[in-house]
Amino acid sequence: MADWDIWTVIAVLGVATASTRSALWMVGHRVTIPRRVQEMLRFAPACALAAIVAPDFMLGPQGDIQLAVTNPKLLAGIVALAYYLWRRNMLQTIVVGMLVFTVLRVSDVFHNGL
Amino acid sequence: MNGARLDPGMERGNDVDGHDPAAWREGFQVGLPTLFGLGAWGMVVGVAMVKSGLTVLQASAMTLVVYSGSAQLASLPLIAAGAPVGVIFATAFVVNLRFVIFSALLAPHFSQLPLFQRFYLGHISGDLTTALFLQRYPRTAPERGKLSFLKGLLYPSWVAWQVGTFVGIFLGSAVPTEWQLGFAGTLAILCILVPLIINGAALCGVLVASIVSVLAHGLPYKLGLLVAVLVGMVTAIVVEETRGRRKVGHG
Repeated sequence: MADWDIWTVIAVLGVATASTRSALWMVGHRVTIPRRVQEMLRFAPACALAAIVAPDFMLGPQGDIQLAVTNPKLLAGIVALAYYLWRRNMLQTIVVGMLVFTVLRVSDVFHNGL
Repeated sequence: MNGARLDPGMERGNDVDGHDPAAWREGFQVGLPTLFGLGAWGMVVGVAMVKSGLTVLQASAMTLVVYSGSAQLASLPLIAAGAPVGVIFATAFVVNLRFVIFSALLAPHFSQLPLFQRFYLGHISGDLTTALFLQRYPRTAPERGKLSFLKGLLYPSWVAWQVGTFVGIFLGSAVPTEWQLGFAGTLAILCILVPLIINGAALCGVLVASIVSVLAHGLPYKLGLLVAVLVGMVTAIVVEETRGRRKVGHG
């Protein structure tokens, strides 16, 4: 992506944050969100975040689907998920996940050339 | 006469919104335990930004302008893949939709403030600070110290986040690429995602969105991502309504 494009993206992301966070602060006392819309909004962020990370865990370097445990990112992701469900601590989870991933990557036990 | 009539109102306004050091300190103390986590998460985002190819200047500008970890992390793979600006905007917007609900809860507390102040207070209020504020002040009526308490929560959080991010930006540019520190960003998103799975319907939506995003990964302009979000959301709503009907039917 060209330099100029990235600056556009930064500006556009600023608009995305401002419009979701500040809009109701500025006009909110005159607006109520319909219940139906609120129900839909509840699911949107979880689905979006899942759709962002799932390919990173499940796709190989060439965009091929890798669902075996020999995929270091998938394995590290599963361990991290289990750890987070257990301890509910983001920082520790990231450290544990990165450790598992790095050990698998450096030792290259599965020889998949990551 | 006019002045006399206006004065009490203004005085009351000053009284409610004036600086209250005790309330500010209380807000700071309530938020204190979260500051370290915020800084660490900011560090992860900072590293992920430079690792996905942003220059130090761009990463710094991004964190100052956007100030939304999940939206920043979400946009990075899209920037790296050269996705169109419209798709990146749509993705960040959807990721941030939870703030529409949060701000609907928080904003009524401060509707009396000047427009610009409402804008920046909204812009710097995040998930944690909103939750902590609403625990302390569940009722929306104006109250002395409320605004100072909110500032005691928001300003230190903002500073902790920015300091962490800048450390990450400079750390990230020193670390070799093959360490793949960007993966830490993916793990961070995983940790944000789990608490958002509020019920079985949401879990179904998340699973379907994950599967669709992998299968539709090859679609041009990263449109697979948006397709996955839509299909996942519709799945969650359909599952919830089917269950609700069944419950009503049995009841």
